[in-house]
Amino acid sequence: MKIIVLSLLVLICCGFTVKQSLFIVPKKWPKPVYDFSQNELSENKIELGKQLFYDPILSADNKISCASCHSPYTAFTHIDHALSHGIHDSIGTRNSPTLFNLAWQKKFMWDGAIVNLDMQALAPISHPAEMGSSINLVVKKLSASAKYKQLFFNAFQDSSITGQQTLKAIAQFMVTLVSANSKYDRVKNGKEKFSISEANGYKLFKKNCNSCHTEPLFTNENFENNGLAVDPQLNDFGRWKITHLAKDSLLFKVPSLRNIAYTAPYMHDGRFKKLSQVINYYMMGIVQQKTLSKQLSKGVYFTSNEKIELLSFLNTLTDKEFISNPKFLPPPIQK
Amino acid sequence: MKKIFLIWLLLQSIHNISAQSIFFSPKFGKEDFSINHSYSFTASDSIKFETLKFYISSIQLLNNQKVVFAEKNSFHLIDIEDSESMKINLPSATNFEFDEVKFNIGIDSITNVSGAMGGDLDPINGMYWTWQSGYINFKLMGSSSACKTMNHQFEFHLGGYQHPFNLLQTIVLSSNKNSLLKIEFDVQQFLSGIDFTKQNHIMSPCNDAVLLSKKLSQCFKIN
Repeated sequence: MKIIVLSLLVLICCGFTVKQSLFIVPKKWPKPVYDFSQNELSENKIELGKQLFYDPILSADNKISCASCHSPYTAFTHIDHALSHGIHDSIGTRNSPTLFNLAWQKKFMWDGAIVNLDMQALAPISHPAEMGSSINLVVKKLSASAKYKQLFFNAFQDSSITGQQTLKAIAQFMVTLVSANSKYDRVKNGKEKFSISEANGYKLFKKNCNSCHTEPLFTNENFENNGLAVDPQLNDFGRWKITHLAKDSLLFKVPSLRNIAYTAPYMHDGRFKKLSQVINYYMMGIVQQKTLSKQLSKGVYFTSNEKIELLSFLNTLTDKEFISNPKFLPPPIQK
Repeated sequence: MKKIFLIWLLLQSIHNISAQSIFFSPKFGKEDFSINHSYSFTASDSIKFETLKFYISSIQLLNNQKVVFAEKNSFHLIDIEDSESMKINLPSATNFEFDEVKFNIGIDSITNVSGAMGGDLDPINGMYWTWQSGYINFKLMGSSSACKTMNHQFEFHLGGYQHPFNLLQTIVLSSNKNSLLKIEFDVQQFLSGIDFTKQNHIMSPCNDAVLLSKKLSQCFKIN
């Protein structure tokens, strides 16, 4: 009996340490939202997810991978393009969002259309202007691949490939993308100090931006209307599309400001190319609308010196380790 | 050895007979329902179907309004193109006296938000929306001369789990039988009153989807 109890204890402890090393909650961060009990992390599943993430096999013409719009070198977003580009040079209707700290996100997409990270990959796989494929076609293609048969077997001890396994594996890779080692984090952990300009910028940030871009994730995970004029071509009313409620008209998900120096262009439709334009917009461009977030109704004002300070603080949110972490970078090409 | 095998076979067959099963039998009015068959719909219009798929979930048996059996992990995709799927076996539901059967059409809200599922709930079955999260509870597709659409097609995808568009329907049917339950679903009744010139597709959670789901729940009966 004792032996059984002991060996059980050992097993539990081992399981605990394995989990710990595969996903670590940064110090003083909130509890993740993602339910790991429904998709227990394993190295093989994460590896499979990474292979899938970087493999254009997910698209109908084998040319578009997740990384096409979510490049690891720019914190998993597509830079230079205001709107995301997909199969056959199609252009989408929104700016591709960054992928990191997804374990803390309750809803996905600019309008919160997706409510569980596991199901997120279905959307781009199926969208005619993104990958133009279907989960059925993906599973069919993966089942015909010796490489994937092996990888799925390693991950699930099962050689038959299902939609569920495919989606859960992709989610495993995505959920491990944690960005928490910017200068800001090191300052918070007492390892470094802000410059005077950064420290002043931090004060301005806390006074003017923190209610929506809330620390430590730099988003409050809510939907807000930040007063952008509706683009007459796109006619995008954001969250309204999902809920059909008037109060949700023109609300978009508040994006994290982490790694913001990498992730131009900005806003749901990528209308601003530079961060300085974004700051100017908040000072002078906000359109008064019924659903405008109340924090913005009075507008904000920064002197030109304050703008520089705010920008220098925002640059401390850059996590170089994150964009160069070999765990997250494309796997070597296999022949 | 042979004898033992025969006895085993006999026992197995007896077991099968007493096992509780639910058999879904779609109808078009008085006719049997099948796909790619032309039915007369209204005086001037004909109708043909290519897809009928729906989820049955949370199956319970009741006696005197008390639950005597509740199937665990009770999710079943019924697909007219897969005859196996039309029959639900409930092997652990034998030996229960019951006078009512209760089930849902569709998928509950918790399951809708619980991540990637397998088996009948695998998104590979084409019953999960891709542009937003959520299962499609019920799919009926086909063509009718009345539809002024491409190839005269109509598509009803009923789904949605969030207020005010929560489409899940609970159905309770009384039964005096205690082995095989044959549940009929009348597609003609479901479509009756729909003006195909005005309403021929529903593809997202909305008011019309709620109304049609309520109507759908009236179209099941035990014969």
